[in-house]
Amino acid sequence: MVRHADGSADNAEPVFLSLLFRIAGHQHHVNHRLMNYTLQFSEVIDDLPYLLAGAAITLQIAFISFWCGTVIGLFGAVAKVYGSNATRKAVSFYVILFTNTPALVQIFLLYYALPDAGILLSSMTAVLIGLTLNAGAYLTEILRAGVISVRRSEIEAATTLGMSRLQLVRYVMLPHIAKTIYAPLSNFFVWLVLGSSLAALFGVEELTGRAINISTGNLRSIETFTVVAGIYIVLTVIASTTLALVGRWAFRVKAKVF
Amino acid sequence: MFERLLEEAPLFFSYPNLVFILEAMGRTLGMTVIGCTVGFVVGLMIAVLRRSTSRMLLPFRAIAIAYVETFRRIPFLVILFIVLFVIEPLMPGSSLFVIATVSVCLIATAFLSEVIRSGLESVPEQQIEGARTLNFNSLQMLLLVILPQSWKMILPPAAAFIVMFIKDTSLASQLGVIELTFAGKMLVNRGFSPVLGFGVILVCYFALSYPLSRFAAYLEKRLASS
Repeated sequence: MVRHADGSADNAEPVFLSLLFRIAGHQHHVNHRLMNYTLQFSEVIDDLPYLLAGAAITLQIAFISFWCGTVIGLFGAVAKVYGSNATRKAVSFYVILFTNTPALVQIFLLYYALPDAGILLSSMTAVLIGLTLNAGAYLTEILRAGVISVRRSEIEAATTLGMSRLQLVRYVMLPHIAKTIYAPLSNFFVWLVLGSSLAALFGVEELTGRAINISTGNLRSIETFTVVAGIYIVLTVIASTTLALVGRWAFRVKAKVF
Repeated sequence: MFERLLEEAPLFFSYPNLVFILEAMGRTLGMTVIGCTVGFVVGLMIAVLRRSTSRMLLPFRAIAIAYVETFRRIPFLVILFIVLFVIEPLMPGSSLFVIATVSVCLIATAFLSEVIRSGLESVPEQQIEGARTLNFNSLQMLLLVILPQSWKMILPPAAAFIVMFIKDTSLASQLGVIELTFAGKMLVNRGFSPVLGFGVILVCYFALSYPLSRFAAYLEKRLASS
């Protein structure tokens, strides 16, 4: 991989290489393993605190890209609904480009191609920027649906009733927007938690990255990744339950967890 | 930067390179098509199973629900790793393409079964009652009453998910399946500029997914109005 970095950032390859070596190694004693493989979780359980700290980093990545993406999405949605023809086209181009190409390749471009232009990003920054731009594109679409869900006639009715601008937003616009966007928004947050796992491929030590680290050490790959899958399930269930409760409490949206 | 691109472009777009990229594109498409076909068939079975009310099928229903709920909450990358390490001792010598395809099948089944289920649920209750009054059996009811009416609720979100699976297959490059992303990495490793290598790969992905997402948007507009 051509990357003129200081060396510490240059670790996108080892994942793939170590896997290939392991496959080659397995071929010889496959029959033994088939019959005699016993699952041993003890070593993975020992590393549980390490993995959970990785889960915290996963959540951080998801949070940061979600909120930054929401800011982009808010501007994008407003620009797409109320903007001039040129702005609308530009925003559409951004959305179409980012929703139709894999986040992995986008981050590859940020990480390996920007140094050509003299901008060197750390792996974490590259992943965060990539996921944020991705989230911004999806959230533009989600929030746009929210913005256009408020009918003009309702706004007119509210003004006729003498509502102030604040009241208009609070009592007329917000309930509509919340109702339309809440479910896709919380689904998208869950998607981001899962999607942030690709940061592992750039050497960021979040949950999946730490799983790769551990499994190359203890050689208990199935167990390690099963435990990590379990942690992801717990994380996303907690996230969607919290979001559903918040939605019910704050916006009276009946969001489903399952 | 731009001089370098111009300098490399004729070399990059040489015939062998183009064939290489097209083959990789075929692999990406192959994984998605196989995965989505299996996902659609099994997903439909799961969705129908979840609608059933017989007590005999209760354990299967529980398994189906558990399957769908777990696999929608695990990152594709982790699923890839688990499938790799499980299949590797069970079926020695199975190619990486097979492993990646199995992973796509697993995840596509989970997501598409959910889409299909909500599509089936959109059919009004009266239709089913009417069919029951006319003495349709469950298979006839499914084929003649429920499915024809639920297509328009199933197809648009399903197409959106298929676009997602196309993009997800890029993670299979980490196993060493020579699909688009891996092809891009190989070309960059050969010394081509990353802007050119990954840029072309990005365009290839776009060429695969954009028609599909346009189709999804078209379906949504057309089927919603009818």
